Amino acid sequence: MDDKRTDMELTKNDMYGSLPHMAPLANPYVPFQSNNPKQYTAKKGLIRGTLFPGLDLPFMGMVNTKEKSNTPLHELMALNFAITELALFLDTHPCDTEVIELMRSYISLYQAGKEQYEKKCGPLTHLDAVRNGEFNWINSPWPWEYRENGEG
Amino acid sequence: MFIYKKSLQYPIKIDKPNPRLASIIISQYGGPDGELGASLRYLSQRYSMPFPEQKALLTDIGTEELSHLEMIGTIVHQLTRNLKDSQIKDSAFAPYFVDHTAGVYPTSASGFPWSAASMQVKGDAIADLTEDLAAEQKARVTYDNILRLSDDPDVNDVIKFLREREVVHFQRFGEAIEKLRERLNQKNVYCMNPSFDK
Repeated sequence: MDDKRTDMELTKNDMYGSLPHMAPLANPYVPFQSNNPKQYTAKKGLIRGTLFPGLDLPFMGMVNTKEKSNTPLHELMALNFAITELALFLDTHPCDTEVIELMRSYISLYQAGKEQYEKKCGPLTHLDAVRNGEFNWINSPWPWEYRENGEG
Repeated sequence: MFIYKKSLQYPIKIDKPNPRLASIIISQYGGPDGELGASLRYLSQRYSMPFPEQKALLTDIGTEELSHLEMIGTIVHQLTRNLKDSQIKDSAFAPYFVDHTAGVYPTSASGFPWSAASMQVKGDAIADLTEDLAAEQKARVTYDNILRLSDDPDVNDVIKFLREREVVHFQRFGEAIEKLRERLNQKNVYCMNPSFDK
C-alpha cells in the first residue's frame, strides 16, 4: 500500500464503499424521500399518523381503518395535521413546488374551517378569546377533558 | 414564542378507566424516551444548528413533541379519572398513586422521575442529529411495547398515531443529516464543527 497518499488522493471507493456518494463511510444514511410523493387525504392521513403511504409502516399490521367522524373539530384536526406533516416535509424539501402548492391549499382550508369552528365551539387561541363582549377562553371543555357525549 | 392552541393534535376519548395501563403509558410522559425529553432535546439542540433546514426541522419537530406530551398527559388523565379505591389497591398503579394521586407527573414507568440526563445537547450538528435518529427509534419501540401490553382500542388508536409520527420524524432527521452533508465539504464532515469553528 502507498502510505504517502494524502487525504485528497482518496479514491471514490475509499470514501463511499459500495454505496452512492451521498452515503459516505462513517455517516448515518437515510434515503431521501422523493419530491411530491404520493399522499393520503388529510382525513386518512390523520388516522394513519402520516400523509405519506410510503412512510406508513405500522407495528405488526396494526392500523387504524375507521376515519374520524365529520365534526368541525375532527375536520380542523385533519387539516392541521396535513399542514404539520407538510411543513416537516418542506423543511427538508424546500423547493418542491407541488407540495408548496398543496400546503397553500390546506392552509386556506384550515383558515376557513378555523373561523367556522371558533364561531360554533369557542376560541382556539387568545386571538378569538373575546366574543360579544365576553371572555370565553376559560370555558370548558379543555382539550384533555373527557366528554361524555360531545366530540373528543 | 409559543402560543397555546386549545385543541389536541389528535382526538382522544377513552371510555374505560384502566390504572394498570396508565402506570405503563406514563413512561412516554416522563420516561427516558418520552415526549418531554424529546421536545426539550430538539428545542434545545436547535440553537447550535448551523443551517436553515436543521433549525427549522428541530423547531417544528420539537413543537410537535410538545403536542404529543399533551396527548400522553390526556391519555393518563382519562385512564385514571373516577377511580375507586378498590381499583387502585391491588393494581400496578398503587405505587404511583401514593405519590401523585391521579395527577400527571413526569416519571418513567419504572418510577424514575424525568431527568435531563436522559438526553444530550452536544452542540455539534452531526452528533446531535445522530442522537435524534436513535431517540426516534427508542420512542418508536416504547410505543411498540405499549401496543403489546394494551388491549384497549381507544388507547391503541392514539398510540398507533404517535408511533407512526416517530417513523416520520426519523425519516426527516435522516434527510436533515444529508442536507448538512451537502452544505459541508463531503469529505470534511468530521473536520470541524460548523456552528463553532468559523
